[in-house]
Amino acid sequence: MSPSPSRRAVLGGLGLGLAACPFSLGLARAETAPQAPALTAAPQAGASSASDRIAPQGRFQAGIVTPRPAWGLVAAFDVIVDTPADLERLFRRLTDRIAFLTSGGTVPELDPALPPADSGILGPELRPDALTVTLALGASLFDAHPWLGPLRPAQLTRMTGFPNDALNPDLCHGDLAIQICANTQETIIHALRDLIKNLPDQLVLRWKQEGNVPVIAPQAPGVVESARNFLGFRDGSANPDSADAALMERVLWVHDAAEPAWAKDGSYMAVRLIRNFVERWDRTPLAEQERIFGRTRITGAPLDKRDGTEADVPDYAADPEGAATPLDSHIRLANPRDAGERHLMLRRPFNYSNGVTKSGQLDQGLLFIAWQASLTDGFLAAQTRLNGEPLEEYIKPVGGGYFFALPGFGPGPDDYLGRQLIDAIGHAPQKT
Amino acid sequence: MKMLSLAATLAVLATPLAAADATLDLVAPIAEYKLYVSENTEALVTDTQAFVAAVKAGEIDKAKALFAPTRLSYEKIEPVAELFADLDAPIDARADDYEKAEADPAFTGFHRLEYALWVEGKTDHVTAVADKLEADVTELAKRIDGLTFPPAVVVGGASVLMDEVAATKISGEEDRYSRTDLWDFQGNFDGAKKIVDLFGPMVEDRDFVASVEGNFAKVYETLDKYREGEGFVSYEKLTDEDRKRLSALVNTLAEDLSTLRARLGLS
Ligand code: HEM
Ligand SMILES: [Cu+2]
Repeated sequence: MSPSPSRRAVLGGLGLGLAACPFSLGLARAETAPQAPALTAAPQAGASSASDRIAPQGRFQAGIVTPRPAWGLVAAFDVIVDTPADLERLFRRLTDRIAFLTSGGTVPELDPALPPADSGILGPELRPDALTVTLALGASLFDAHPWLGPLRPAQLTRMTGFPNDALNPDLCHGDLAIQICANTQETIIHALRDLIKNLPDQLVLRWKQEGNVPVIAPQAPGVVESARNFLGFRDGSANPDSADAALMERVLWVHDAAEPAWAKDGSYMAVRLIRNFVERWDRTPLAEQERIFGRTRITGAPLDKRDGTEADVPDYAADPEGAATPLDSHIRLANPRDAGERHLMLRRPFNYSNGVTKSGQLDQGLLFIAWQASLTDGFLAAQTRLNGEPLEEYIKPVGGGYFFALPGFGPGPDDYLGRQLIDAIGHAPQKT
Repeated sequence: MKMLSLAATLAVLATPLAAADATLDLVAPIAEYKLYVSENTEALVTDTQAFVAAVKAGEIDKAKALFAPTRLSYEKIEPVAELFADLDAPIDARADDYEKAEADPAFTGFHRLEYALWVEGKTDHVTAVADKLEADVTELAKRIDGLTFPPAVVVGGASVLMDEVAATKISGEEDRYSRTDLWDFQGNFDGAKKIVDLFGPMVEDRDFVASVEGNFAKVYETLDKYREGEGFVSYEKLTDEDRKRLSALVNTLAEDLSTLRARLGLS
């Protein structure tokens, strides 16, 4: 197997000093693991530090194949822009803030008669804390402006409800989604408040959901496991290997001829706020829970390899009747493994815990975030297959939206997020 | 127009904004603001008397017509009225400020009467509420009359008003039964604008003042689209697009005006 899966490659580059063992997901089984799902590995206590820095610049935006830290949020905004110059100004201002927040530094000290320059929740010295801020545009932004409409990514649409959805309009859509991730909750909240305070004239908040994943005890070197969701199962095991650049090129990054040229190196983002009926789930027999997902709860091994690891690959051809892995189990429907790479997507979710419903139940769930080069082949195809799955009895999608993550930006002083789009506006073919 | 972003001004603001001891002469504008407030409290008392009389006489249509214009004077001077929390709550609190909402006996004042007029469609059961509103408003006027106006409170009132709109009014929660929210917006904007008009000339950074004035102009431009007769159409007519624009303007004004005290050497 490739000696250096994502975790070491990426974190090593960040100076996180992870242990040298190259294996992921179980030492002995490593050779049977073609994938290294370290992207969504459970963070280990003590492994992260406030000085972890992830550069925002690059061919792709940070926060997509960047290993998922413990905390994340998605905030959706409506934006106030009338002209291409307004949009450029919005992008430049956001890029400025992102560049500052992700590198850290001293918060400016102002005249005490003034409101302070920031929320203060991180103290006078900002540390990067693995912060990433990722920008993605919604269909409504393109639809609102004739000068932008022709440049809309080909598959970017307004999310519509699926049969099991109960969408709350207050939790859906937006012109701009901002994903913010970091090691700690206070860092993501600080960043969000900073953006809101600094761009009040262009950003109007629609909805926001934050979440986290459980941090586990330090493991033996090289032992990595996927973080658990609020249904108690490891989530992310079968993710495509985010360290495999060639694979990501095909699965994640847009370069299709059908897409506008500016969109190259961007990615489609599907966000879903999916409530989990946890009380009900906790009353469900373990064997049934495992059949619903198609994996064991403790190790995440596929049911046809119960004693294996979560890295093992189920063999559906050998189980045509679904005797081991039910045909309607979540993993078998989500990915029947019969179409090669065509339907792959990268899931990078967080768990949320909000409060109590009117019925006195916990309002918990999954802030589902999936990235893909084709929304149609990725999220939409998977969700269409999942419609009617037994898991639906325990989940209720209530919000979210589809967005298009901008391509990355360079380190040059005049580059900024969204520049490709702004440049394209100048050359957009006029609609006749 | 040029929008002043806080980030852009931070560098400038790092140095003290106003001559430290403020030899600035705030006496005249404070006196003028005091006059503005007493004109509005007087109007509030007179208008409330007429409104209360209509409520007690069971003249529903007349009372409905008087509701929004009566509140206008209150909304203009809200930062001052709010100094007297023991009166502001019984005069202007909303149902959701109380645990039992509309059914809560502590729910009184304008919005209780609004509920009676628009939802219950009768007033005979709220005459005591009407009497109390008149008494509370009269008491408020008396207290404001005897008040010395601290400059920091007066100047700070501009961003307080914008914060109010941003936090609890833009969504149409204030006048939820009558849908006369746009009248209240007007009152709050007028009240904030008055403060800027009076104290703006003393602010050194003219770009800042121009930016704030430009944002007020945009606010009024948007509100103008919804004028009808003496007042406004229903809040429900406000389009999503205009609500978003107002929201961005209000938040920008709130951010910018939050620096006004410092710009005048007040802390
Ligand atoms: C609350 C909702 C959901 C929960 C609790 C959940 C949980 C899980 C779990 C435990 C796994 C197995 C481990 C893994 O490979 O990650 C899994 C796999 C997967 N899920 Fe979900 N999921 C949810 C929603 C969705 C949605 C909405 C989609 C897409 C439309 C989706 C697509 C997938 C895919 C593609 C896999 C991998 C299947 C494979 O390749 O074997 N899931 N999910
Ligand atoms: Cu009020």
